[in-house]
Amino acid sequence: MSNTGFAQMLRQIGTAFEQGNILQVVGTPLMLAVACLLLYLAIVKKFEPLLLLPIAFGMLLTNLPMELGQRLMHPQLFIDPQYLIDGHDLDMQMIASQGGLLDILYLGVKLGIYPPLIFLGIGYMTDFGPLIANPKSLLLGAAAQFGVFAAFFMALILGAMGLGFTVRDAAAIGIIGGADGPTAIFVTKTLAPALLPAIAIAAYSYMALIPVIQPPIMKLMTTKKTRSVVMKQLRPVSRTEKILFPIIVTIVVGLIVPDAVSLLGCLMLGNLAKESGVIERLGKTMQGELMNIVTIFLGVTVGATATAEQFLTPQTLGIIALGLIAFAFSTFGGLLLGNIMYAVTGGKVNPLIGSAGVSAVPMAARVSQQVGQKENPSNFLLMHAMGPNVAGVIGSAVAAGVFLAMFK
Amino acid sequence: MSITEALSEGLQTAVVGLGTVFAVLIILMIVLYVMKAIFYKEEQKKAPAAIQQEPENEINESVTEDNGIDEGELIAVLTAAVAASLNTSTYNLEIKSYRRIGNGRPAWNRAGVRETIDNRF
Repeated sequence: MSNTGFAQMLRQIGTAFEQGNILQVVGTPLMLAVACLLLYLAIVKKFEPLLLLPIAFGMLLTNLPMELGQRLMHPQLFIDPQYLIDGHDLDMQMIASQGGLLDILYLGVKLGIYPPLIFLGIGYMTDFGPLIANPKSLLLGAAAQFGVFAAFFMALILGAMGLGFTVRDAAAIGIIGGADGPTAIFVTKTLAPALLPAIAIAAYSYMALIPVIQPPIMKLMTTKKTRSVVMKQLRPVSRTEKILFPIIVTIVVGLIVPDAVSLLGCLMLGNLAKESGVIERLGKTMQGELMNIVTIFLGVTVGATATAEQFLTPQTLGIIALGLIAFAFSTFGGLLLGNIMYAVTGGKVNPLIGSAGVSAVPMAARVSQQVGQKENPSNFLLMHAMGPNVAGVIGSAVAAGVFLAMFK
Repeated sequence: MSITEALSEGLQTAVVGLGTVFAVLIILMIVLYVMKAIFYKEEQKKAPAAIQQEPENEINESVTEDNGIDEGELIAVLTAAVAASLNTSTYNLEIKSYRRIGNGRPAWNRAGVRETIDNRF
């Protein structure tokens, strides 16, 4: 009887109650409730279910009351200086001997393996054609990283005001504004591993909420006239250009921001696999099975780091608020430059494509399309918005590289 | 870290960081313009030739009064369409002039594209 989860939970609550730690008393039941809420959002509301469902279930698994030895996941092995060699290196021996199933799988996150592998598949599925046809899109993709640095700035100030965010925490929080899940996870696991669950959940939830977050900002920053601008059709892009593009990007980014290469290099390898057309078999694996397998591991283990002690903190609330600010400012940055481009080109650019510079592909581009179509039903902005959209992926990977280079 | 320190550190990082992001992407933009200059010229020369081989394309893209396409057929189609939508006979109608409105995509094409966009993502 004393080995059942229920007995465990009662015992935990008893100890916590004696210590007067209220958060711990409600911790386990509350986390199970949060996990169920996220499962509801994933299954019924269809919020990025491919990731949110595994994340939520990982959260459920990790918060089941169990003896320390039985647990599937021990986040402290990766975070607590007490368990780390010299306070900062992973003790692989201990993880192998004492870790549960999810600890072993989590190594793929901690060692930075999963996010680049996911980028292989994303690269294969991305068409850089609209970007090559309209190189100005790159500027919009850069402007939409504004939110990354705005949120970083605010996180630093909140940290100074007593929320306890360090510079590295602030950088990891800022990268939520890149609107790119794998990139956010890649930066956070290095700079602020303790904040990983909150940041991953915030990033993926806000990505799913883009159709709600962006349109009001878009309407505010544009006029009826600018929204209904019809853009010139994009030029056709030759195969040679499509093949050269990933190679050139890898070289250019590698020379300037080496820390961005593990993400961007994989993205471009995946893209080259498609555009070259000579390794179709490998490409099929990259965008299919490999990506699916990694997504399962990534989702479940990231969710599993969200134990009550890690997740039920004032920082989590701060991260959720700052994440929203990051998304809003990124949208703002893109639209601002979109408006400038509209003015400079004499009305040839529809500023709505600027908001697609946040990288969530293809959701953000689709929002541009829909908002534009409301003004002018015969206007098709989708392809024009895909340019800034894929540029945003490159932009946020570069921003991630900058943070890693500065604070690693 | 005090608030003043946080302000200066934050501003510095933001300027350097956003500056680097812009620098990298601007370099890529220049590379893309160079690529366009090298590769796009040939495409432009090929393009008109390709269109001439596919007359159906021409009808969709740009129907003007003087491009040599049989106008009678187009007017017959327009008359039939108007008659069908007004529930009347083609004998009661006479088309005096026509001009294209909007961006040149036929309505069914637009509906199809919209449906694809809504389903795909």
